[in-house]
Amino acid sequence: MNELVIALGWTGIYGVMALSAIGSVIGCTLAGQSAIGAMLDTDGGYGRYLGVSVMPSSNIIYGIVVMFTLNREVTAENAGALFGIGVFAGIALLYAGLMQGRCCASAINASKEKPEVFGVSLAPAAIVEGFAVFVFVFALVISGGAPQ
Amino acid sequence: MSGPDAYVMLLSSLPHHGALTRTKQTPLSRLRLNARLKVLAPEDAEALGLVEDLLSWELVQKLGSDAEVVRRAKQTMARLDSPFLKEILRQRLELRTMVAALRRRRRGLPAPRSGEIWGFGRWTNHIAHNWGDSAFGLARVFPWAREADRLIKEDDAYGFERLILEEVWRDLGRAGEGHTFDFEAVVVYVLRWNVVERWTAYNEATAKERFVGLVEAGMSQAGDLFGEAANG
Repeated sequence: MNELVIALGWTGIYGVMALSAIGSVIGCTLAGQSAIGAMLDTDGGYGRYLGVSVMPSSNIIYGIVVMFTLNREVTAENAGALFGIGVFAGIALLYAGLMQGRCCASAINASKEKPEVFGVSLAPAAIVEGFAVFVFVFALVISGGAPQ
Repeated sequence: MSGPDAYVMLLSSLPHHGALTRTKQTPLSRLRLNARLKVLAPEDAEALGLVEDLLSWELVQKLGSDAEVVRRAKQTMARLDSPFLKEILRQRLELRTMVAALRRRRRGLPAPRSGEIWGFGRWTNHIAHNWGDSAFGLARVFPWAREADRLIKEDDAYGFERLILEEVWRDLGRAGEGHTFDFEAVVVYVLRWNVVERWTAYNEATAKERFVGLVEAGMSQAGDLFGEAANG
């Protein structure tokens, strides 16, 4: 039983990074594909499209920071906290990455046709980013209460 | 059927259509569209081909009789797995059935006999039973039907064509809601491309007719002018 609890603790520590990485991978892939498609239909502004397409990569950075914050000797006392914080923060960051990718893909698709909406079209992606920041910040705050 | 983000690159590479009635040409040529559509998965390409074939205006001319068109429609429906594609086809074929009924009535023909295969969908019997009503008793289902009846009675072919194509355009827009980067969005794009092509070709034909008319009118006036000049 004790080994299972310890394993869950380690799952939380590494899980947050792995799950947020998956979110960033999917998000950047979606936005990147949209950028490539837009390049086929336009004669310029390629850098702008690529710039937007890497926006979902911020999620893995949050995941890495949370992972390092959670990293400590795993005991029966702190394993539950590490599991809860790590896994749920990871799932939230995964979903944020995926959805941000869709937002970025749509923003690229729209700004390709109407370059003047480029800034405004990024608002949904920025709002999703805001939610990811909430997840990140409160994961750090809560992890301070987990036994060392 | 592919996932919700299966065709992000393809759809991002396709230029937007814009508003139907303001468009002067298709946003890209059929050649380029076909080149882009090569990224479709084989089963998706096949399904799209079936839908396009059935909805092509050439097919109606090739098959000749209404019964043959209905038979082909049923065959195609049976081959499709996607409820989305089936719904698009059903909606479009029912609209064509309404148009066929309006044209038939305009020619002074009687209501279709019971058992006669002349249209597709849920409303064929209803239309036949309400032959005397301007919208065949379907004004709630097809809000454009009364307006279409008025235009066809006035022989306003241009207005009629415009009304029908706008309705098809709106139906496709409604069907495409919630589909951004999936196969369904590709289908809606391609079918709208076909509508734009039809509309621009119609505009072109109308423009040619008008041009020829103006030239003929100008020539006849020129004749008078020369006549007057000769007389003068």
